[in-house]
Amino acid sequence: MDSQLVEARALEAEITALRRACVEPPAPGEDTSRVRKSFRETYQADSEGWELSKDLRSHLGHLESEIQFLSTLTGISIRHYSKKTEDLTSTEMTEKSIKKVLQRHRLSGNCHMITFQLEFQLLEIQNEESLSSVITDLSIIMEPTEYSELSEFVSRAEERRDLFMFFRSLHFFVEWCEYRKRTFKRFKGLSLTTPLPPTPSTNLAHYMTVIHSWTLAALPSQNPHYEKYPEAVHLSEGASSSCMGIRNPSRPGFELVIVWRIQIDEEGKVLPKLDLLTKVPLQALELDKNGVIETAPLSFRTLLGVLGIEATLESLIKSLHTERVMVFRQSRPARTGNRRLPSPPP
Amino acid sequence: MELANTLSQDGESRGGVLAHLERLETQVSRSRKKMEEPQSAQAEESALGTRIHELRRLRDKLRAEVKQHQASVKASTTNVEPDQTLEITEQESLKRKWENVKAILQAYRFTGISGKLTSRGVCVCISTAFEGNLLDSYFVDLVMRKPLQIHHHSIPVFIPLEEISAKYLQTNIQHFLFTLCEYLNAYSGRKYQADRLQSDFEAFLAGPLQRNSLCNLLSFTYKAEPEGQSFPFCARLLYKDLTTTLPTDVTVTYQGTDALSTTQEEQRAAHENLFFTKPLHQVFTSFARKGDKLDMSLVS
Repeated sequence: MDSQLVEARALEAEITALRRACVEPPAPGEDTSRVRKSFRETYQADSEGWELSKDLRSHLGHLESEIQFLSTLTGISIRHYSKKTEDLTSTEMTEKSIKKVLQRHRLSGNCHMITFQLEFQLLEIQNEESLSSVITDLSIIMEPTEYSELSEFVSRAEERRDLFMFFRSLHFFVEWCEYRKRTFKRFKGLSLTTPLPPTPSTNLAHYMTVIHSWTLAALPSQNPHYEKYPEAVHLSEGASSSCMGIRNPSRPGFELVIVWRIQIDEEGKVLPKLDLLTKVPLQALELDKNGVIETAPLSFRTLLGVLGIEATLESLIKSLHTERVMVFRQSRPARTGNRRLPSPPP
Repeated sequence: MELANTLSQDGESRGGVLAHLERLETQVSRSRKKMEEPQSAQAEESALGTRIHELRRLRDKLRAEVKQHQASVKASTTNVEPDQTLEITEQESLKRKWENVKAILQAYRFTGISGKLTSRGVCVCISTAFEGNLLDSYFVDLVMRKPLQIHHHSIPVFIPLEEISAKYLQTNIQHFLFTLCEYLNAYSGRKYQADRLQSDFEAFLAGPLQRNSLCNLLSFTYKAEPEGQSFPFCARLLYKDLTTTLPTDVTVTYQGTDALSTTQEEQRAAHENLFFTKPLHQVFTSFARKGDKLDMSLVS
């Protein structure tokens, strides 16, 4: 309501100014400074023109910082937005005091590294008792990213017309991707620094830094005591990819590959799924009488459920790095481990 | 507000421009008369909306007029500095920017999380929906100081807010908010399904549907044929995971006194499967559509 009043006032002031401009045009050859003066005079005289302009500017600044705050709070930045409204109320409906309005929205923005563009229709039907709002059509366009997992999820969100699920799952997906990247980088011994967002010029700055420090600390607990293994860890497709290879230079031919996928299920739940692939020379396989290598992927999952992701990965790296024999046993470990993360589905 | 006066003072005729203005004027004053009738607060708001709409139209017309006029003046005297244009353009661009920013701010409600700054911090609004239907919204009023505090909120008591905030509020506010979103949307979704079943398919139910406040335990006695006389089945749906809208446990039992026939047993099993995979009201939509013939295509 307030913002509408401000807008109405702004419009009125502008109309007044425009009217003057219409009826008192500068006569040909007239001194331009006089025109300027008269313009100022009229503006100041009849309504709070300049006052308003100042109002508008400070209001604008306030709104802009509010947007910046919201984008920090939600991790979602909206860059462009537009709306078209179409009144579908028929005369028959008016008699029954029913209002039917179709809104077409377009919205684009990004959630960290993932950009999106949405178009949706919102049908609002209001009668005396209730207002119902239904999204009748949703289409999501995403720039092709390295995250192929998202395309299936996007079509499901479109099918269900579930806008909130889209944003929610996108948030959790991005959060897991960041966590995966940080974990890989940490083991590889790469720098983890993330640039701070630009500081806003208002008193919101304090809030923003507070929130930012929280979101960075964010993700599932990261143990700072993990060592780095730059020689053993191979990120051939970069830290953002889903694979991490573990090798030992003195044992060529052996490689463990961790495939860490991030899946989004039917209901939009985001879950990590980790698999272990083994590359072992044939002779070694023949020597493996107990089938340790064969059962390693299974043992790996068991371990994940007990130790959590980071500790499992570290124990794997260590097992190869320190040249000890892998000691995976199929025996079921006691279920007392510290489960910090949702264990991957069996 | 001074609209009416401004024009009547400049009584002199200036051809098309003024005639046009007068027409617009009548339109505006007509719409204002309408607005002056005593109205409720809500009507006032919508009247304000109409007024803004009218004003925008008037403004756009005038802008076009001014531009046209300036073009003609410029054509006759090439040395006139377009100072006026500059002033208006500045105001105009400021205005446009303001409108744009305001719209973006409002658009945040479509992400499911929006907020309004308060003197102490921020009041976050969490919106819920189920399959396109926008449902209830909840708010959490946060005090922005370390440690973060929840000042007020409208989250239902049975949502484990305390547990969620103990886990994430101090460490990751985004995670806190989106987790809360997950719980609230799932609750709204379960409630929506139960409400729809109750309201749209009453004829299929024997008595009211039983539910707990979280709507994560539902039980009802029902029939699958619209014209059937008895209510042979009893369903019990449990949603162990409070962030889901599909049940984790489903039991359908046969209520009849006579022995369960093979077809009935098949039906019972098929129903269980349906309840697992489809929203409740959609299962009953399929019952209503197919009569006693179960839509097997729904069983995925």
